[in-house]
Amino acid sequence: MPETALATLRRINRVIALLIGVLLFACVAFVLADIVLRQLGSSLGGTDEISGYVMAVATSWGMAYTLTELGHIRIDILRSRCAPLGRVLFDLFSLTVLAITISLIAIQSWPVVARSLANGSTANTNLETPLALVQMPWFLGWAWFAIASWITLFAAAMLVRQGKFSETEAAIGAFGEAEEHA
Amino acid sequence: MIAYLSLGLLGLLTLSIPVGIVLFLLGFGVDQFFSPFPLIKGLGNLVWSSSNHATLIAIPFFVLLGEILVRSGIATRTYAALDRWVSWLPGGLVHANIATATMFSATSGSSVATAATVATVAMPQAERLGYDPKLFSGAIAAGGTLGIMIPPSINLIVYGFLTQTSIPRLFLAGLVPGIGLALAFVVITVILCMLRPGLGGERRTFPFPEMLRALLQLIPIILLFTVIIGTIYKGWATPTEAAAVGVAGAVVIAALFGGVSLQMFHDSILGTIKITSMIMLVVIGASFLNFTLASAGIGRELQAFLEGLGLTPFSTILVIVLIYIVLGFFIETLSLMVVTIPIIVPLVVEMGYDPIWFGILMIVLIEMALITPPVGLNLYVVQGARQSGTLTEVMLGTIPYIIAMLAMAAALIAVPGLALWLPEALQ
Amino acid sequence: EDLSVVGSWSGLPLHKQYEAPFWTETLPEASGGEINVALTTHDQMNLGVGDVYRLLGDGVYDVGMTVADYAVADAPELEGLDVPLLALTADEAKAMVDAARPMVTDIYHDRFNSHVLAIAPYPPQVVFCNAEISGLADLEGKKVRASGRMTAKFLEALGAEGVNVSFSEVPGALQKGVVDCAVTGAGSGYSAGWWEVSTHLLPIPLGGWDSVVTAVNLDKWNALSDEMKTLIQDQITENFETPAWETAQTALEDDIACLTGNGECAAGDARSMTLVEASDADFERAREVLVTEVLPEWKERAGDEWIARWNDSVGQTVGVTIE
Ligand code: NA
Ligand code: NA
Repeated sequence: MPETALATLRRINRVIALLIGVLLFACVAFVLADIVLRQLGSSLGGTDEISGYVMAVATSWGMAYTLTELGHIRIDILRSRCAPLGRVLFDLFSLTVLAITISLIAIQSWPVVARSLANGSTANTNLETPLALVQMPWFLGWAWFAIASWITLFAAAMLVRQGKFSETEAAIGAFGEAEEHA
Repeated sequence: MIAYLSLGLLGLLTLSIPVGIVLFLLGFGVDQFFSPFPLIKGLGNLVWSSSNHATLIAIPFFVLLGEILVRSGIATRTYAALDRWVSWLPGGLVHANIATATMFSATSGSSVATAATVATVAMPQAERLGYDPKLFSGAIAAGGTLGIMIPPSINLIVYGFLTQTSIPRLFLAGLVPGIGLALAFVVITVILCMLRPGLGGERRTFPFPEMLRALLQLIPIILLFTVIIGTIYKGWATPTEAAAVGVAGAVVIAALFGGVSLQMFHDSILGTIKITSMIMLVVIGASFLNFTLASAGIGRELQAFLEGLGLTPFSTILVIVLIYIVLGFFIETLSLMVVTIPIIVPLVVEMGYDPIWFGILMIVLIEMALITPPVGLNLYVVQGARQSGTLTEVMLGTIPYIIAMLAMAAALIAVPGLALWLPEALQ
Repeated sequence: EDLSVVGSWSGLPLHKQYEAPFWTETLPEASGGEINVALTTHDQMNLGVGDVYRLLGDGVYDVGMTVADYAVADAPELEGLDVPLLALTADEAKAMVDAARPMVTDIYHDRFNSHVLAIAPYPPQVVFCNAEISGLADLEGKKVRASGRMTAKFLEALGAEGVNVSFSEVPGALQKGVVDCAVTGAGSGYSAGWWEVSTHLLPIPLGGWDSVVTAVNLDKWNALSDEMKTLIQDQITENFETPAWETAQTALEDDIACLTGNGECAAGDARSMTLVEASDADFERAREVLVTEVLPEWKERAGDEWIARWNDSVGQTVGVTIE
């Protein structure tokens, strides 16, 4: 059961990561189009602004993928010297702290969106982008990161209770499995 | 407060909490203990404004560029070609790491992206050919830092932004010290490997025709460099936009000289997201910590400290260098720059130093911070790309290159012309 | 009384000459040691420029100051404080600000839960071009970098092409022709070396005067004693706002002298940019564009009520009525 949850979470996050990648490529295309148009004496305008929004959204949604791939760097000077049980306890502790912190970030991010909604805020630019339109996906990304970290934590805790230490380490350990080289 | 931060950082890091989260926790602590104001209410805004930043999008773009070069096989062939030319030196393949890092630095504005690219292609070689893992991976971590000295450079863009100095001039100023630093890395590797031949592994020579043929393999990367730098200096794109040009260029070049497939895009994207989010969690956490520190008055303390010393301009520069070395151990580099530049640079300029020159000196120190533990992004990136071994090995391996960086910092202080000659000559 | 104060750009003269001395020396002394100030700036805190007043309203710090124009994302009605080219001299700008002050006070009260203490000027936002121009009309068809919504819309209405480039990338962009012209404060342009990469200077406030609003969190303000309120208000008007305005006109003239070499430059070496005079025809055209296009668009954003207030106050002062 915890294995299924973790595997599903990984699959979802992988899809999300691929979608962000598509967003990044779209942003590349947009910037290129603007450069070309400028040579022709025209401009799409707002590449700077849109790149910023893409970065904010890509960052928040990519976080959970990096979590499931064990990509968020940790220093394991003490941890690596421990027995499997000790390592797993380090991992559970670290993940608990992460889940709490990220939840706090997600909760504190909501007022930013709420304020933009309440004020009907629009960017101080030619595009007049409604800020809530870009802040909402950004906020949801952090919320998803928080949710994903709690799911991972509970699944890992269940694995520990079942005594599956190596499976736990594969799910929440310090380093991801070696990258596959094609 | 400094004591609290150092102890807290060390304590939390040894608990193996993710580095980015540790920075947030320290920020919460500063908020609780050193500031009477509810800084936590600023958390959401800080997270938004520190990621909604057009300059930062250069990070995923440069990482993506590197990933495409790796997955299309171009990076590997570049590496092999440079190997043909430099592996006769004592140290062998270690020089190929430095040379490849130097070459990719000219197409990438990010040290982490450069280190990630080189590490991915080089690491399998080390294990195959039996190199000392310390020096081998240390050379990649250190070589990768050239990414922010040799133009283009995200950090120089940030420096130019914060100090209102010209970015193209900063880019020109970084060129000579960047190449100088690469040569210093080579020299120190040669010296080390002559003293302790065991470090370097096998020296290899190749027949001259093969060396010439290898040059052909460098065409794609030179082409890419020309496209990126060309669009900046032709005035088609700003330095940040050039990162996007680089991604498009990498796709085209991969299609011409390597292999493009859906699988390649798939893998490149996943690799990019993983590294970018890893960096951004640290960047955002650092940005929040910076916010709490500024509110608690660290800027005033630092300024009062420097002014209170009553030193000559020259001694002040030495103290500043020392401060950067120490802070560089603990603080992530982009935020280190953001925290300190508004305080330090006006002081330095007031004493009569050139802001362009100081920017380059600062970049050397920032490069050092990237490879000094416990907070050194390049160490983690290289370790992340290895199949085995410990982080400590990478840290030990960078020590000789840290010495080379110190030498470069001293050289810049003694001979400011190293940085200033080129931009002035081209005026 | 402890006050935490977040100042405007730490590198610019307004902060160094007026803000910092006022908050760290003048005010604490005038209070006989009753007020303690902890001062930092929004750039040192790495705050987004649009966040300064949001966080002020939340009570993250007590006093905040930044360019009002940065906050128009949350308050489009605030754009009326700083309309391009309506005030050509510091005196005119001051009159405009004074007329707008009651409006601005209400906006800060409602939008940012804060009370306005002072409105001081940055040097006006003038035009640097790396192309030959002989007046405002020549901006038509040029690629121009400007920040701020109303300035950008104004340039568009003049027929210029708005290009988004961050401040630090402007010199490179000017040099290489990514943009032909860029708008910033004359002093910032001088210290950032824009004269190296541009040839012509059009010293009219195309980007307005970039008024810097100093405001205090409303809850904090209401909790202060009446004597304390009076002390702070009197001190800031007398020792911060008034002197900042008094030097604004000469600062602009000095900066122009530094950039063009026409006159003494105290800040450093004088440069030799070509000074471009805007003609009366230019101003007439600008005013027409403002009245027929830019300001009516602003009306859509801000709403009729604010426009009516603006017409009765600022509009009367500068002789403009938005239909
Ligand atoms: Na570079
Ligand atoms: Na470090």
